[in-house]
Amino acid sequence: MPFTQLVNASLEILLNRLLTLDDASSERLRALSGQRLRVRIREFPQPLTFAFSDKVDLLGDTDSPVDCDIELSINTLDKIGDLNRLNQLIQQKALTLKGDLHTAQAFGILFKELNIDWEEQLSRYTGDVVAHQSFNLMKGLKQKFSRDMAQLRSVLSDVALQEKPVAAHPLAVEDFAGEVNKLRADTARFEAKLTQLEQRKAGKA
Amino acid sequence: MSEQLNNETTHFGYKTVDKANKASMVAEVFHSVAAKYDLMNDLMSMGIHRLWKRFTIDCSGVRAGHKVLDLAGGTGDLAAKFSRLVGEKGQVVLADINQAMLKVGRDKLRDKGLIGNLEYVQANAECLPFPDNHFDLITIAFGLRNVTDKDKALASMYRVLKPGGRLLVLEFSKPTHEALSKAYDLYSFHVLPKMGQLVAGDAESYQYLAESIRMHPDQDTLKAMMEQVGFEQVTYHNLTGGIVALHRGFKF
Repeated sequence: MPFTQLVNASLEILLNRLLTLDDASSERLRALSGQRLRVRIREFPQPLTFAFSDKVDLLGDTDSPVDCDIELSINTLDKIGDLNRLNQLIQQKALTLKGDLHTAQAFGILFKELNIDWEEQLSRYTGDVVAHQSFNLMKGLKQKFSRDMAQLRSVLSDVALQEKPVAAHPLAVEDFAGEVNKLRADTARFEAKLTQLEQRKAGKA
Repeated sequence: MSEQLNNETTHFGYKTVDKANKASMVAEVFHSVAAKYDLMNDLMSMGIHRLWKRFTIDCSGVRAGHKVLDLAGGTGDLAAKFSRLVGEKGQVVLADINQAMLKVGRDKLRDKGLIGNLEYVQANAECLPFPDNHFDLITIAFGLRNVTDKDKALASMYRVLKPGGRLLVLEFSKPTHEALSKAYDLYSFHVLPKMGQLVAGDAESYQYLAESIRMHPDQDTLKAMMEQVGFEQVTYHNLTGGIVALHRGFKF
């Protein structure tokens, strides 16, 4: 089975599905219409060639001419929507770009500005009430999880520092580091003095 | 060539028929399956035909402004993608000998909003109604084995292709492993006709499909046929263990 084509087909379906969920994406896509962009992600063996029209087509070819060819690491992928960052990344050699800078920027913006109302999307299948309640429930759970995690961090910190002192307080660590530095300086001074005395003794003999 | 038994007869699956009758017999098959063609393709290949077609597009080198002929284009899977890739200044001609298939393809593409750079032509691959040196790319996917005179069709494609243009032939071929070949035979002759009967109400057409695949020239024979009519740098790529092969040739 052609594996590259399977990956590309899945990715293409996903990208186009996401774009259709955001009404404003068609305007951003229009800015790229007729252009082609090749993205070489260093962590992936195959480059991805995007051809833009009223949809995004993902091609598996590696050598056809494109408007813009960029090579980058996966960590850098989300930063290409910002023109200033783009220039910075090129200067830092975190990204290699050949061709039209604006194609790369428009591509970054296309996905960076994706704004999908997931509650609205869910309501199409479940109705407004269920969707609203589900999202409220999820928000509540998320907030509760964040609160619980913060509380847990605080409790563990207290236990480790005070009740069962298995960890040192930052101030104690700082004080200890200061004492070590002072001892290192004293040792260095003593060593220098000793060397001086040895040289003097050797001179007399 | 293996297809032609003598000047007057040819294969229709495992049957030997008059050349003059093959086109109408093939037309009857496709007329019968046209409405359920896409569904059956998905079922029979478990959706893999879409990946084979994607591979064809990846090998096409098609660009904005190109003129593309999708021959035996059936229900327009390739033409839909080419239409977007060549853009407004390009042109895609979806050609098929079978009016029913062409109608299904046209309706499907129009429903997708693909208009403007797409044209539909009912044409016989053996005598293409286009000027010399006209297209940048010609594709024929799962169509060549149904053509009565394949040499004549390849020569006709060569004629209408521009110098520098390429022909892509995606077609069933010969599996490269013995075990796969046996499993494939079992599937083709025992499962496919039953599936065709169940879904499309037509077992015979799918029996013909299995037989026509076996009678189609193998990878190297087709490569030689393409070279014979003038194509250069002809190569082929086996897909799914050689069940399908993509042949590519250039006109210089």
